[in-house]
Amino acid sequence: MLKITNVHKKYNDNEVLKGVDITVDKGDVVVILGPSGSGKTTLLRCINFLDHANQGEMEFDEYHLQLNSASTSEVRKIRQKTAFVFQNYNLFQNKTVLENVTAGLIIGRNMEKKQAVDLALKALAKVGLSDRVDFYPSQLSGGQQQRVGIARAIAVEPDVILFDEPTSALDPELIGEVLSVIKQLAQEGTTMIIVTHEMKFAADVATHVIFMADGNIVEEGTPKDIFQHPKEERTRNFLRRILPPQVEYNI
Amino acid sequence: MRPFNPQFMLDVIPNLLPFLWVTLTVVLGTVFFGSLLGFVLAQAKLSQKPRYRWLVDGYIYIIRCTPSIVLLFIVFYGLPKFCLEVFDTDINRYDKIFFVIVTFTLLFSAPISEVMRSAYEATDHGQYEAAVSIGLTPWQAFYHIVLPQATVVALPNFGNSVIELMKEGALAYTIGLIDLIGKGQLIISQNYGAYALETYLSLSFIYLLLTLGVEKSFLCLEHALSRQKKVV
Amino acid sequence: MDINYQFLIKTFYLVLTAVPTTLNITAVSLLIAMPLAFYLAVVRMRPGKYIRPLISAYITFVRGTPIFLQILIIYSILPSFLNSTAKYFALEVNVFDWNPIIYAYIVFSLNTTALLCEVFRSALGSINKGQLEAALCAGMTTAQAYRHIIIPQALVVAMPNICNLTVKLIKGTSLAFLMTVKDMTAVAKIAASYGYNYIEAYMDVFVGYIIVCSVVQVLFDFAEKHVGKFRLIKQK
Repeated sequence: MLKITNVHKKYNDNEVLKGVDITVDKGDVVVILGPSGSGKTTLLRCINFLDHANQGEMEFDEYHLQLNSASTSEVRKIRQKTAFVFQNYNLFQNKTVLENVTAGLIIGRNMEKKQAVDLALKALAKVGLSDRVDFYPSQLSGGQQQRVGIARAIAVEPDVILFDEPTSALDPELIGEVLSVIKQLAQEGTTMIIVTHEMKFAADVATHVIFMADGNIVEEGTPKDIFQHPKEERTRNFLRRILPPQVEYNI
Repeated sequence: MRPFNPQFMLDVIPNLLPFLWVTLTVVLGTVFFGSLLGFVLAQAKLSQKPRYRWLVDGYIYIIRCTPSIVLLFIVFYGLPKFCLEVFDTDINRYDKIFFVIVTFTLLFSAPISEVMRSAYEATDHGQYEAAVSIGLTPWQAFYHIVLPQATVVALPNFGNSVIELMKEGALAYTIGLIDLIGKGQLIISQNYGAYALETYLSLSFIYLLLTLGVEKSFLCLEHALSRQKKVV
Repeated sequence: MDINYQFLIKTFYLVLTAVPTTLNITAVSLLIAMPLAFYLAVVRMRPGKYIRPLISAYITFVRGTPIFLQILIIYSILPSFLNSTAKYFALEVNVFDWNPIIYAYIVFSLNTTALLCEVFRSALGSINKGQLEAALCAGMTTAQAYRHIIIPQALVVAMPNICNLTVKLIKGTSLAFLMTVKDMTAVAKIAASYGYNYIEAYMDVFVGYIIVCSVVQVLFDFAEKHVGKFRLIKQK
């Protein structure tokens, strides 16, 4: 469904992405892991043209384009097939929860209000926020705001949802509510690419795990491959530092 | 319509420049007296007695709502009468620059007192407490510790107020003071109304140099003074 | 101090009749300046255009010169310029018959646009870039994103500064008398010159401006609360 090849991105003299390929099929949940500075967020943002890649090719269903020379209308078409969930939620501060979710439908896709509101309410029910539809983002907790962000992404019925460290900005006790929503989406077969630090969650939910470091893909495979039988030294070092030690209880 | 004569713009500048000192005297006089008055007002606003605070609030509010030209006329026509009645002194013969400076001192003191007050409130009072606890008198603590830091905070806004003052000061001509603009108008009437645009553009150029100069100077001052402050 | 109370009261009502003129100039200048200033502020933020230094020069000129001078410049050249233009195109208009308030509109619009542009530039800059990204990702065009998300939020941030600017503009219109416009100051001046009752007349107009500015500030307070209702205190 979505295939991206040979992505290069440079910030001044610093090469952040050194030729990365990523393939996503329908129903896949691709999780990208890696230390800070590995380029994983940049890769995600390049897919949605939030950052401008220097080089790279994208094949997305019927669209075939170059990442560095895509036209404004091509970019918009790609963005209409995808949705993005931000680390800092980026909810529209001047709109209510309901208006946040319908914005993409009514303004971005010219949908009729009644139909848009129906879709929005369904999405909000799915993330468990039906009772907050008229609240403003400033009245919600971080976890609630991120769930609205996810509802905003679901409502436009995208082919793939991109998650950029969705729980990194949350207080620990609020992470669980967001992760359970994402897990539910995965179980329903939503295609997703998720950049995250939540290892256990990644192991639970992913169909495919990619480990990146220094702008390259070091290793990729199924969760079982990566977490239990990592082949590369770099992967092993990373996992050793991040994962809590496995303590087995035997009563 | 008379064609535009750029040469005139250059020719007229030597005739205008001598009157720059009038404009600058107004500005410097106002800044000096206005800052003094502003300091007193800021003290009053920070005082414990609500009566003083209300007085200062009222004063600042009224000044904020008053156009410069209206205040200029009130001072020019009203102050002599007031002095005659209350102090029995005749100030009708005083140079016009006196009335201009009085007016703009009143106008300038209002925003300046706010600049001083907010800069004072923005500084860390823990340092004042530390200073007096090691034996400095309150005045020494204020002068050596609080004032330097408050000055750095206040500088940008102070600079803006000075630039605003320079522009408002141009109105001095309306009561007959011959400053830069006054001289410009005299030159125009000497030419029977010709070369008005050229004269005004030259004046604009001089004012631009003045305002940009003041802006740059304050920026340099800020840099020089805040070198001691490390931004975390 | 002998004050002619009869004159004081009579002139006060006279000044009040000129309040609509003052408000007229203020309102028209603001109405013209707001969209123009927003447009210029947005244009200035976009990368790589030739028009940016032009706009910067215009704003620097307006901010660096007294409004008194700007009025003198416009009023000294515009009427004759328009007259020459009309003659050139052989139009049957007598420019000098036009209501001088048009020149007031032009001067104060030009002045306000430049100052407002600076206000909007800093307000737009304070809006989190993520809001624009989220809007684009939701499928909006850039224009839609600005119209529905960015500009409404920028407006709320800019409100106090817009209020200050409006009060300054009202005070600035006191100079409209230089262009023979019958605003509050002009009326007071004319009334004063009949009987040399300068103090009474200027006290009247002084009070008049205080009233006008106070009403405007109250209106802005109300507007700020209404437009900014989404900025509620965070409740966890």
